[in-house]
Amino acid sequence: MTCRKALKLMPLLAGDDIGPRRARTVRAHVDACPACRRELDGIREALARVKAAARAESLPDWSAGEWKALMVRAVEGGQAASGKRERFGRRALRPRWAAASALGALIGLAVLSVLFRGPVPGPAPVGTAGRAVEAEAPPDQDVVSMTVVSQETGLQIVWFFDKKFDYEGVHK
Amino acid sequence: MVLSGRTEAFEPLVGPYRGPLLALAYRLTRDREDAREVAQEAFLKAFRSLGRFDLSRSFRNWLFQIAANEARDRLRRVKRERAVFEAAAREPSAPASGTAPGPEAGRERSETRSEILRALDSLGPREREVFVLRDLEELDIRETARVLGCSSISVRVNLSSARRKVREAIRRDFPQLEEGR
Repeated sequence: MTCRKALKLMPLLAGDDIGPRRARTVRAHVDACPACRRELDGIREALARVKAAARAESLPDWSAGEWKALMVRAVEGGQAASGKRERFGRRALRPRWAAASALGALIGLAVLSVLFRGPVPGPAPVGTAGRAVEAEAPPDQDVVSMTVVSQETGLQIVWFFDKKFDYEGVHK
Repeated sequence: MVLSGRTEAFEPLVGPYRGPLLALAYRLTRDREDAREVAQEAFLKAFRSLGRFDLSRSFRNWLFQIAANEARDRLRRVKRERAVFEAAAREPSAPASGTAPGPEAGRERSETRSEILRALDSLGPREREVFVLRDLEELDIRETARVLGCSSISVRVNLSSARRKVREAIRRDFPQLEEGR
């Protein structure tokens, strides 16, 4: 191992933060190299001094009142936050309920329109959206039908009338 | 118990960490007032986030993680504010420009700074976090990585550079210690 490589690994070796195999290699080099040994001792000593100073240092602490106030603040703040979350949650759910209801209503309408739709008497001429087409009835014809086709949705509504244009209520 | 709604159980839960958390905040921010703010915010956030706490993790390390994030945000904010203040002080219309000390300078004067803090001043933010957690709080490499949300390799790289810088700072500031060896 070269001095350069050993110097690179030395700060980690000083705190035992390299694997055992690497540590053995660096130690072997340090034992044989006085300059690297001095460097390793220097790092170890600096670390020891910093740690000792940190232990001796007067650290800030909470007074009993401060600590109590902090705990009260934490609990009250937490409860307020959870209350806010709950309120927000309810508000956020409202559109989902509305969307579900709207979807349900649409499906219901679609089912009803299929169930109560009369038979389609042949292809209706495609014109503008919602255009009503009236069949011309020959004099001997008993029933007249009228079909409205929506170009947008494809929905067809068919009415059947008798000669006098009285709605019979019979679907054919 | 706290999770089930018994908020009074929060104090016994965090009580053992009131000192260590404040000490960590102090070592990271280098300022008693900032440390208090950081630790307070960390406890408040911990209470609010208890539901997300992973029970397989160490509670102390989880608190440390919140405090480290909080300290980082605060230091960033202080740095930004200082930059704004210095930019304002440089303007020609600023009264007594260059002679009036900034709030930071005043704070630093009033702060009793120990040798250790002076040595740690030479470290970058990440190096400082790694050094404080590994060497002063004595977390292992993996715990340190978890608290800081980085890889073990990143911790090793920053730790190596931090220790080297601390050694250089001590050699520079206290040559008598070096000679006495």
